[in-house]
Amino acid sequence: MNSIETEVVVVGGGPGGYAAAFYAADHGKKVLLIEREPRLGGVCLNRGCIPSKALLYATHMITEARESAKRGISFQDPTVNLDQLREWKNGIIQKLSQGIAGLAKRRGVEVIQGRGYFDDGQTLRVETEEGQQFVKFEQAVIAVGSQSALPKAFDLGNKRIMTSRGALEIEDIPEKLLIVGGGYIGMEMGTVYAALGSKVVMVEAMEGILMGADKDLVKPVVTQAQETFEEIRTQAKVQKMATQGKQILVQMEHDGEAREELYDRVLVAVGRKPNCADMGLENTQVQLDDRGFIQVDDNMRTNESKIYAIGDVIGGVMLAHKASKEARIAVNHILGDNLKPESFIIPAVVFTDPEIAWCGLTESEAKQKDIPVKVAKFPWAASGRALSFDRTEGMTKLILDPDSERILGVGITGPNAGEMIAEGVVAIEMGATAEDLANCVHPHPTLSETLMEAAEVFYGKATHVASPKRK
Amino acid sequence: MEVKLPNLGEGAESGTVVSLLVSSGDTVEKDQTLIEIENEKAVAPIPAPAAGKIGEIRISEGDSVSVGQVILILDDGAGGGDSSESSDSGESSSQGSKPAAPASSGSAPSGGGPRPGGMPMAPAPGFGFGFPQGMSAPAAAPSNLPSLHDIWIPGAVVHSADSSAAKAGFSPPASPSIRRTAAELGIDLMKVPGSGSGGRITTEDLKAYVGALHQAVEVLMGHLQAMSAGPGAAPAPEKPKPKSIDFSQWGEVKKEPLSSLRKTISRRMTEHWNDIPHVTQFDSVDVTDLNALRKKLAPSYKEKGARLTMTPFVMKALVQALDKHSVFASSLDEATQELVYKQYRHVGIAVDTEAGLVVPVIRDVDKKSLLELSAELSEMAEKAKDRKLSGDDMSGGVITISNQGAIGGAHFTPIVNKPEVAIVGLGRGAMQPAVVGEKILPRLMMPVTLSYDHRVIDGGTAARFMVDFVEAFKEFNEENSAA
Repeated sequence: MNSIETEVVVVGGGPGGYAAAFYAADHGKKVLLIEREPRLGGVCLNRGCIPSKALLYATHMITEARESAKRGISFQDPTVNLDQLREWKNGIIQKLSQGIAGLAKRRGVEVIQGRGYFDDGQTLRVETEEGQQFVKFEQAVIAVGSQSALPKAFDLGNKRIMTSRGALEIEDIPEKLLIVGGGYIGMEMGTVYAALGSKVVMVEAMEGILMGADKDLVKPVVTQAQETFEEIRTQAKVQKMATQGKQILVQMEHDGEAREELYDRVLVAVGRKPNCADMGLENTQVQLDDRGFIQVDDNMRTNESKIYAIGDVIGGVMLAHKASKEARIAVNHILGDNLKPESFIIPAVVFTDPEIAWCGLTESEAKQKDIPVKVAKFPWAASGRALSFDRTEGMTKLILDPDSERILGVGITGPNAGEMIAEGVVAIEMGATAEDLANCVHPHPTLSETLMEAAEVFYGKATHVASPKRK
Repeated sequence: MEVKLPNLGEGAESGTVVSLLVSSGDTVEKDQTLIEIENEKAVAPIPAPAAGKIGEIRISEGDSVSVGQVILILDDGAGGGDSSESSDSGESSSQGSKPAAPASSGSAPSGGGPRPGGMPMAPAPGFGFGFPQGMSAPAAAPSNLPSLHDIWIPGAVVHSADSSAAKAGFSPPASPSIRRTAAELGIDLMKVPGSGSGGRITTEDLKAYVGALHQAVEVLMGHLQAMSAGPGAAPAPEKPKPKSIDFSQWGEVKKEPLSSLRKTISRRMTEHWNDIPHVTQFDSVDVTDLNALRKKLAPSYKEKGARLTMTPFVMKALVQALDKHSVFASSLDEATQELVYKQYRHVGIAVDTEAGLVVPVIRDVDKKSLLELSAELSEMAEKAKDRKLSGDDMSGGVITISNQGAIGGAHFTPIVNKPEVAIVGLGRGAMQPAVVGEKILPRLMMPVTLSYDHRVIDGGTAARFMVDFVEAFKEFNEENSAA
């Protein structure tokens, strides 16, 4: 039997796993990286962040070209070659994935393709195509991530009922697409398919879409989606699906009314579940919470002293950059840093059109927790840059501590909000105040000025907004 | 050769250099005093172990030095000393090369005091620390300690757990690198006032806070030391700095710096006088017969090289009285609140020298003959005058005799030599009319006084002691006093 000894074994090669493996290797650890898929990069790279952004970019051209007509520049209706689009998208994935494999190699991180299964608190059995390998480790980091949840009632074995994974493969452009779930995945994929020409109906059980973000930030996105989507139904519940020929018969309840409709495809985007159900955790002291996520302490350590867990598999917001940050915390602890890690804020971006991005405290969270805050908003209608590319629905807002005027939260909606939010993260992490932000010169004409002007709005002295004096 | 600090006796491990009497390049004789070391027992001269030329001097006045530490290098012409001397010189010299500890202590400067690590101080004015105004100083010792949490930096914002930021789970405003540094130092940033916009904590704020903590610890250590000096002893109020008076406005003056010995005497006497509630008992001893006996015996003592004075008789009488009243040979252990009864009878003799008062100790007075005591007294007096008494020579006494008889004067009130609890003062014997039986006769009367520590000894005990002491003088006769 084949047995390997290593210092650190990382299970899962996504943005959490490879970050942990590389960081540990950079600090002189002997590292083994286990990935069950043939390609490194995890969901993020292969069937998440990257392909979805590629498709959003590509299909955005269609919308842009159409919009361009009113500015006096017209194009013919586009033709879409799905195979070429898919190939281009996959080319990006392959390039990135190879890049990560190359980085692993250069760091001396050995990658084994296979499924990891814990035999005990210090042994990982790896099932590869060539057979089993036993890995004796000093520390293990579980970074196996999550997958889209597909409720049993919808799991008919019909590939026309998709999760995001299937939707990103764009096998065809369905004439009628039902999206179940109004979260960011549903919204982003809906944007892609709507641009490609699908009639998109979105169904959400809650009273609004994109529930995590502040309503005023979501509003321009909803307004836009109401135009591009066929319909958005909130407080609606899908009860049953059935195969009917090449279509799906969907039963749902909306506004107290039962409906039965036919769709060419259905995208189920109702949440994600951790991938740790079948990896031998019962042979260790690792504890799961009642939703199946791995429980960890501040340093990402599980109940089993040699095993850490990071990323989606421990729950919280399921974002790649959260996993990467947690990778560093876990490895720092492995390297002997026993300090309680500093708290950090995790920015969130929804790549809809327009984009929504926020970080720190949201207005709704402040309201919910009864935390007094002051909010300063700068509407993009007052931004020359926004006007110059015809997108004035955006908004930049600051959530401020009323006494110290410290910036506690930043919310942005509008094109490029995702790029701009980083300044908000820096401001919050540095403990900056509205005055600090107002005093920093921002280049003109750019959207970044809206952050500075939002701070000036707070003091009632924004150049491009006439507002009653606040102070 | 390396000259190291010799054993100071009495288990003393260290002392302070009160005077440095030689300079580099000086030529010294063997036994010439190089430096004077003061510890709690005495000021001890450290003699040159050999004649030679002074090389490098590794200490300076005010330094604290420990036994075995190299004081200076003496070129005795032997060519660099033997190997055993130099074998441990590495350690010694590394001790010796330590910069002299600055004697600064006590009050915290309100401006930029010394900062740990030599970090530059924040330019912000008025940084420092203090305790919030209105914080009263309670009398009881333990609660007298200021809380570290009370440290505040004027002009900076103190963070509140009630702020919106804190409620939202944010740490106090500071950059990630400062938060990390604080975590490494174990400092809770909530307690670090921030001087930046919105109370933002800057690197300087963190440094100022660490500096303030450092100062606070020094103050606390001072409080703790004051507390350990005695139960319930409140920290001594800061003594106002003495001011010089210009005496020359009334006439001509001449100034002379205090010698180190004088400084020590001054400090000790103040300490003993302040620490001990003194009571002084007066009496007179009829030494007419004893003086006659002394004169009769003196020639035979002289033949044996000793000078018979009254002092050996007083010493013998004293140890007899001590045997009956052992509390006079005790010491009060203030730390444990115990009385320590010393079973030995070492007696200190105050010797008046040109430089000032020194107190050599004669050991085991109870076991020695008058002749032995006479010889030892002469030897000690000689050593004292030459400033050659060692620390050992001046420590371990259970009671002290201060005899002014050779000079003159009658009763006086000597100060108890702490940690002893009593001291006997003798005046000059003088012919006085005394009532003997029914008659008034001229008798040689010697004034005797006894100062004692009233914390340990009560008046009745002292009176009984005095009676027995005076009585003991009658015990001497030709037989038991012969040389």
